[in-house]
Formats: sequence, structure tokens, C-alpha cells
Amino acid sequence: MDFVILSLVMLALGIYGLLTNRDLLKVFISIELIAIAATLNFVTLSSAAGVGLGQAFLVLAFSTDTAVSAVILALLVIVSRKYGTGDIRQILKMESKDESEAEKQ
Amino acid sequence: MILEILSIGLIVSACLALFLDEAVYSVAALAGTFLFTALIYALDGAVFVAIFQFAVGVGTLTILFLSGELLSEKPVSKTSPNKALALIAGGVVLSLPALFLSISGSTSAGVNISFGNGLWNLNGMDVILQGLVILTVALGIVIVLYEKRSGGQ
Repeated sequence: MDFVILSLVMLALGIYGLLTNRDLLKVFISIELIAIAATLNFVTLSSAAGVGLGQAFLVLAFSTDTAVSAVILALLVIVSRKYGTGDIRQILKMESKDESEAEKQ
Repeated sequence: MILEILSIGLIVSACLALFLDEAVYSVAALAGTFLFTALIYALDGAVFVAIFQFAVGVGTLTILFLSGELLSEKPVSKTSPNKALALIAGGVVLSLPALFLSISGSTSAGVNISFGNGLWNLNGMDVILQGLVILTVALGIVIVLYEKRSGGQ
């Protein structure tokens, strides 16, 4: 059982989801998976090395992760309310349509 | 044995969270991912970290359930049981390398130190990798800003 490989698999899953999903919610879930992979690596390596300081640092990392999650969720809500959809491709199409209309005017 | 089962559950729930069509089911699977992660931390001896992970996970999931239900569009077709089973099987297959492979062993430097200990103790490698990540992010930001500026002209 190797936790480094486990966190690598989680990281790969997160990056794959980040690259392939169009839904903003799924993109957020992918970012959460990447964060889980990083923290898992941190915890297991600090436990293996017998360093308790790693766990203290990890609590700080959780705070940062929560702040990042809050900002991403706020952006998700704003974008979804503005464009009425969570699909990135549709949002980009609407954005380019708005820009072309603004240029015509 | 318990750690292996938790690892399989972690990967399977992560696969379900990513690839299920319904947003609410995806968030429920993400709840499973948080739970399995907290249990792995607790069994690994990091009880306080497990408690923090659990608390943060509960808060995140509450907001995600609300936003997932309110903001996401309803999928055209529901996830078929076959697809769910295929996702579970895929998750089990993906968790096999973590169960049976190991990258611990002596490093190329000839020092008898495991990879995990080396990654933690030899901080130079960590700093170099973080520097590479920051450089990549900075390069990405520069490219995005350049594209935006050249596209606006």
C-alpha cells in the first residue's frame, strides 16, 4: 500500500476532470480532488517521517483551501446568474457574442 | 486491510463525483471522498487533521448541495446503472496501482532512504518542484494576458 501512488492517482483524476469537464461545478469538484491529493501526500509523508509539524502546516493548508473554495463558489454563483448556465462553452459563446455586438455599436 | 478498502472507496467515490451526470449525486459522491479521506487521515495517526478535514468537508458540501441544486442544469438523460457500475469498476482498477505497486526504495543518490522520507527530508527537491509550478503558473498568466490584449486590439 503506497499513499504516494494513491495521491498521484487522485491528482491524475483531478487534472483529467479539469481538462475534460465543461460544467463549472465539475471543474470545482476537480479542483477539490487535486487539493485532496496534495493534502493526502502531505499527511502521509509527514506521518512516515514522524514529523508532527506537517500536520500543523496542513491545518493552514485547509484554511487556504477553504478560502479558495469560497472564492470559486462565489464566482460560480455570479457567472451562473449572469449567463444562466454553468457550461463553459456556452458562456464563452455568449461572451464572444456580446463583444461582437459591442463592436458593431 | 482497512486502509486498502478505504483507498478503493476513495478512488471509486472520486470517479463517481467526476463522471456522474446529476449534480446532486456528484456532490454526494464528493461527500464520500471527503469521508474516506478523513478516515484515512485518522487511521494514519493524524486525528486532528481528520477532524479538520471532516469539518471543512461538511461546510463545503452544504454550500455545494445548495449551489448544485440551484445552479446546475438538469441533465437530459439520467445516469444508467451500467454506467454507474462501469465507473465503480474503473475506480477499483485505478486504485490497484496504489495497492500493489510501491515506489519506496533506495534513491538514485545511493542513500538508503525511501521515496517518501526523501521527499519530506530533502527539501531542495520540494523547493525546485514548487518553483517549477510557480513558473508555469506565471507563464500561463502572461500568455492569457497577452492573448487578451492582442485580441482586444
